[in-house]
Amino acid sequence: MGKPNDLVQGTLDLLILKTISLEPKHGWAIAKRIQQISGEVLQVQQGSLYPALHRLEQKAWIKAKWADTETGRKAKFYSLTAAGRAQLEKEAANWSRLSVAINLVMETI
Amino acid sequence: MLWIQRLRLRFRTLFFRKHAIQELNDEVQFHLEELIAENVAAGMSQEEARHSAMRSFGNATILSEEARETWGWITLEQIGKDVRYGFRALRNNPLFTAVAVLTLAIGIGANAAMFSLLDQVVLRPLPVRDPERVVIVRETGNHYGNSYGPNTISWPMFEDLRDNNQVFSGMFCRFPATVTISEGDRAAQISAELVSGSYFPILGVGAALGRTIAPDDDAVPDSGPVVVLSYSFWRSYFDGDRSIVGRTINLNGYAMTVIGIAQPGFDGVELGRPAKVFVPIMMKTEMTPHSDGLKDRRRRLSWVTAYGRLKPDVSLKQAQLSLQPLMHSILEMEAQQPEFTRSTTPSDRESFLRNRVELLPGSENALRSDMRKPLWLLVALTGAVLLLACANLANLLLARATAREREFAVRLALGAGRLRIVRQLLTESLLLSAAGAFVGLALAFLTVRVLLRIYLPADAAAEFVVSPIPDGRVLAFVVGAMLLTSFIFGLSPALRGSRTEITLSLKDKSGAASEGGILLRRMLVGIQVALSLLLLVGAGLFVRTLRNLDSLGPGFPTDHLLTFRVDPSLNGYSDEQTKSFYQRLNVNLQGMPGVSSVGFSTMPLLKGYAWQNAIVGKDFEGAPIEEQPVLNHVGPGYFATLGVPIVAGRDFTTQDLGPSNWRHDTYAVINESFARKYFPGRDPIGQRFGLVNDMEPVNPEDIEVIGLIPDKKYRDLRETPPAQAYFPYFEDAHFRFMNVYLRTQADPRQFENELRERMRQFDPHVPLVGLQTMNEQIGFSLRRERLVASLSAVFGGLATLLAAIGLYGVMAYTVARRTREFGLRVAFGALQRDVIWLVMRDVLILVAAGLALGVPLAFALSTLVRSQLFGLGPHDTLTLVFSTLTLALVACLAGLIPAIKASRADPLQSIRSE
Repeated sequence: MGKPNDLVQGTLDLLILKTISLEPKHGWAIAKRIQQISGEVLQVQQGSLYPALHRLEQKAWIKAKWADTETGRKAKFYSLTAAGRAQLEKEAANWSRLSVAINLVMETI
Repeated sequence: MLWIQRLRLRFRTLFFRKHAIQELNDEVQFHLEELIAENVAAGMSQEEARHSAMRSFGNATILSEEARETWGWITLEQIGKDVRYGFRALRNNPLFTAVAVLTLAIGIGANAAMFSLLDQVVLRPLPVRDPERVVIVRETGNHYGNSYGPNTISWPMFEDLRDNNQVFSGMFCRFPATVTISEGDRAAQISAELVSGSYFPILGVGAALGRTIAPDDDAVPDSGPVVVLSYSFWRSYFDGDRSIVGRTINLNGYAMTVIGIAQPGFDGVELGRPAKVFVPIMMKTEMTPHSDGLKDRRRRLSWVTAYGRLKPDVSLKQAQLSLQPLMHSILEMEAQQPEFTRSTTPSDRESFLRNRVELLPGSENALRSDMRKPLWLLVALTGAVLLLACANLANLLLARATAREREFAVRLALGAGRLRIVRQLLTESLLLSAAGAFVGLALAFLTVRVLLRIYLPADAAAEFVVSPIPDGRVLAFVVGAMLLTSFIFGLSPALRGSRTEITLSLKDKSGAASEGGILLRRMLVGIQVALSLLLLVGAGLFVRTLRNLDSLGPGFPTDHLLTFRVDPSLNGYSDEQTKSFYQRLNVNLQGMPGVSSVGFSTMPLLKGYAWQNAIVGKDFEGAPIEEQPVLNHVGPGYFATLGVPIVAGRDFTTQDLGPSNWRHDTYAVINESFARKYFPGRDPIGQRFGLVNDMEPVNPEDIEVIGLIPDKKYRDLRETPPAQAYFPYFEDAHFRFMNVYLRTQADPRQFENELRERMRQFDPHVPLVGLQTMNEQIGFSLRRERLVASLSAVFGGLATLLAAIGLYGVMAYTVARRTREFGLRVAFGALQRDVIWLVMRDVLILVAAGLALGVPLAFALSTLVRSQLFGLGPHDTLTLVFSTLTLALVACLAGLIPAIKASRADPLQSIRSE
């Protein structure tokens, strides 16, 4: 069985970085946010999300802090580091170039 | 810095792992709960919300594991689990673990110990620059003169070789001597090396402090009163006092300036006889009073050991070839000299001119050539023990793997990867090998120390620089062999097991998947039996050799006999002073309470030395060295002290003493062999003979026989007593050292301290050397045989034990597999002894097969050790029969235990258990 909504790894990393670029979010909120913004098109599986978060953390692009949620529960909030912000810019630029290129190809031929 | 941050994160997940895992779990739990909350908000019941959340969430464990994998320590984590599991598995089966570790320890320990001994006594090169280019230059064949040993040449010959060869970049020579070092009331005899000025430069040995001996120090005879101390002697005797350099010390009463300390680890070129001080060989006369080889131009006294450093482009073979013409021309010249022609026949000359130059590795010495064969032999024996240990380990692992087939099947069924199981087995093997290696090395460390203390000369053992850590190569080899064994035999059943149907193994059919294993195991046991027989036969041969030698006896009572050596001439005493010293010492010791008599002799008894000389008489001529009688100078009371009776004529008396010389009425006491050989059919008393001597021959009429003693041994226990003649010691003006023998009235050991004190009071400057009882001395002379006998006995015992364990293991396993069959047999009326016989028949077949392999092997291999045996042949029937019976008996006992167990099988239970 195929998984049409699965995201390629690099893309998920980009989405995560972008999602937390304004304010710290916990895992659940990140998944929800991506789902909402994409108009329910992009479903982030837990099985991909948490390994991705931990990988990004190990790369020191994001950092984690335990804090209270609005409902008063403890959750792990992720936020961008300086290195992460630079990485986001780099990957966003990459992505724009790539999508422009793909669009060009799609429209021309 | 980004990488520092990353490193910090990596370490956090490693060292605070528990905490990190807890956080991960909390995080995932939070996510799950949010999901449930969302479901509830969407209108599901609590229960429904929960199930739906769990479904969409998937496997939380896998999620957690995947997240942990990003931390990068997953392999380590798994290894840690494997190790923990391995420990548990080994602990759950303590008997298996103990036997396996012990087997490994024996294999590793025995080999590491024996090889380090071999390496350090026989193999190790000299601690000098490019040691493989340094060679000993020796002359083969009979030298026709006096010789200090097989590797020595005369000083003039050394000079000729040094000045005329084309193959060496330089030559040096050495002479080992014993000197007395003294200061104030402290005196000691130490080993010295007299060396040519080229010794240190050519060896490439430097000084730790000051400088070494240079060619200038060694230019003119009797000049160069300088000394270099060995590093270890400097540390032990002078406490590493740096100000010693430049000061003078007393050697043999001569003031010598300490010019330097040799580099650490260099104790001269003779292993087993570490030199404490190095002195220019030009000081020979001063260091060895009364023996002046340096100024002796006669060429018939060979005393220096010559060494050369091969030129870079010259091989040892080439050098040896190109030195032959030079040697031949030297021999031609020597054969013309009157000293040679005077005492040789034309046929002697022929054989003399056939002498050749031989080059030996520079590290060659007496201890090495003496110990080479026995040590290689013992290494071969430990090799067999290693094979046995490997076989035993293989057997154990096969049995264990078979027993664990079900466990592996269960783990495979639960989804474990094959690789993971293989890794698990490897981890267990590694744990076993590590434990075995650890215990084995500890064993080796202790053994080597003990062995060196027992079997090396006492003074050498004390100083012998032995590394407690065995050689890296042998360690790698032994541990590697063990690892390989444990991998191959631990893995192969596991792999086979993992290929078979899981269901088959899971059903209660024990051993269903392992029919092939048992044949391999039976073969291994057969080989073990054969190898143990080999080792037992070896042990039997060597133990009987030692017993034969031990029971020989020297031909006189050795109990209550104490001996030591003194050499006052090393204190610079003149001939007159030395003579007076011995006269006073004789009187002094006779007055010692508890001492019944005292005897002096110039040559030591049973120490391998002999003074040999050809004799002449009215009707006999000089003879080649092998047929010459052995001679000795002794004092009055010598024969009485040794307990040797005078069977005819009389002993020496004090009237026979007093200055005299060879030419006038010298008296001699001879033994029966001497009388039979030279005066057959005549009364030996009153017969006369003379000595052949190139300097001052003694005429055939000069020496008169006054006494006859029975035959006793002289050099060592192995010899048949040679023809012997004894002269009163004062006849010889040039006596230096004296061996003193005391017959005590009680256990001689209790006199040792008193004797030391008495000697100190008698003359504090003359050290007493080598004080021991005669029995100790004889025991020490058999140390090589004792080493081989005791170690081969230990190895034989170990081998038998290992074979018995192997046999027991296989039989126990077979019996367990056939429980059902035995139960049925008993149910149908078979008696206990029938079942026992059934099992024992199997055991006997195994043992017989092993012996059938072992006996011819033992027969063939034992001929290789013929030269190491005494008083029995390599095919000694008694040894072979006894070894075979012992092994068969032990093996049967090992097989009997499972057999009895089988016979007690409860028919109902054993049928039900399947």
